[in-house]
Amino acid sequence: MSLAEVAFLLLAAIALVTAAAALLVRELVHTILWIGIFFVDLAAIYFLLEAPFLGVLQLGVYAGAVTVLLLFGIMVTRKRIFSREAATGIGPAPLALAALTVVFLATALGEFPSGSTSIRAYPPTALSTDLFGAHGPWLLLLGVIMLASVSGAIWLVREGRE
Amino acid sequence: MTGLPLAGFLALSSALLGVGLFGILTRRNFVLLLIAIEIAMNAAILNFVYFAAFAPVAPLGLTGQEIAVVLVGFAATEVAVGLAIVLALHRLRGSINVAEATDLNG
Repeated sequence: MSLAEVAFLLLAAIALVTAAAALLVRELVHTILWIGIFFVDLAAIYFLLEAPFLGVLQLGVYAGAVTVLLLFGIMVTRKRIFSREAATGIGPAPLALAALTVVFLATALGEFPSGSTSIRAYPPTALSTDLFGAHGPWLLLLGVIMLASVSGAIWLVREGRE
Repeated sequence: MTGLPLAGFLALSSALLGVGLFGILTRRNFVLLLIAIEIAMNAAILNFVYFAAFAPVAPLGLTGQEIAVVLVGFAATEVAVGLAIVLALHRLRGSINVAEATDLNG
């Protein structure tokens, strides 16, 4: 087993454990900590897949901005940040449905090579040339959509609105 | 060039989707619901990056990474709008339990 494969197995295990822990712990601030580790772990997987631009984007947008936004969302909606979430009864139906989805997707795994395949590296320069060159207008459209949604978000929380 | 198992990556994103789906179905706190949606969405973004890395031809691989870049942008926007809804809900009802937000029920 190569070093890259060992690294992948380790990162995959961390991703699964932190994602499950984020949803199962009762202290909401601990949830944010777990999800922060989850996002950093995914960035490491992107670096392993030789996609450094996406790795940095994941670190900046997810591990940085989204985690802080979620923490902010928890801080402003409770009197004390360290307060426990009431336990919700986890019925068998959601667990069964989630497990069924995973089993259904796992049946398709046989179609793909199970051995190691060599991966291609794309330098960030090639990605940015293509993204800002050929697909420039679509990127601008994405910017407009994001601006519209952020304006909408500000409108939703503005003062004096009932 | 490093060699990695594609099937292992696909198994990982399937499992992450399962975890996200489980969270969406069981959690009642709006912030936790957003986190569960983010986990499921990250599973999808990971898939694009795997197929980009394992693609045999260069343009296809670049397309996968470009879609991933766009999806990360959209996910960040979705969290911003989601948190605005959380704040509005908290201001109106004093609670962010999605089970209590039944204003639009017919």
